[in-house]
Amino acid sequence: MNGIHDLGGRHGLGPINPEANEPVFHEPWEGRAFGLFASTFVFAGYTVDEFRHAIENMAPADYLEHSYYEHWMSAFEALLTKRGIVTREELDAKVAQLSREAN
Amino acid sequence: MLLTADLVPVVLATGASARVAAHVAPRFRVGDQVIVKNLQPTTHTRLPGYIRGKKGIVEKDYGVFAFPDTHAHHLGEKPQHCYSVRFTARELWGEQASDRDSLRVDVFDDYMDLR
Repeated sequence: MNGIHDLGGRHGLGPINPEANEPVFHEPWEGRAFGLFASTFVFAGYTVDEFRHAIENMAPADYLEHSYYEHWMSAFEALLTKRGIVTREELDAKVAQLSREAN
Repeated sequence: MLLTADLVPVVLATGASARVAAHVAPRFRVGDQVIVKNLQPTTHTRLPGYIRGKKGIVEKDYGVFAFPDTHAHHLGEKPQHCYSVRFTARELWGEQASDRDSLRVDVFDDYMDLR
């Protein structure tokens, strides 16, 4: 698909500045997001290609505004709700609960 | 199937590799001059838009992999070769690009033709 993810050759996005001594994960939750791939793709029955396509299907503005592992989280939500393993209601309720606990 | 602790090292070591053991004849050989097809699927593809219609040279055959365009949509593995194809910077970006630079892109059998 000719989506926003296909950024090669586009102007105006600024320079690429590789981080010196970049850590594998910038936040602990990113490590958990990484682990979610290994622990869900087999039982949920998706391929790495379907996973990538789920990221491409993000709303274009959302895609540009979110980080690499946020893209992953968006794909997990799309793939697991599509299969009914998690419902949108369960997801929203959990987010609301965690949000309350954090405040 | 659940990911159990004993499977974790295997999964982490191999990743979610799409390499397929099937024996499939390659359509191209190293050194072949190719042109990328002008494919514009609305579905998943690993063909970057900026190489469509561009001419390149096959530099390496990586072997046989599941084809992302079908595999992403549960339409089968359609196993085929994937190659490293070299494009000159000028072919991709025009005359203002350096004549010394080139770019290598991983390209599947189905994405290109001989020229």
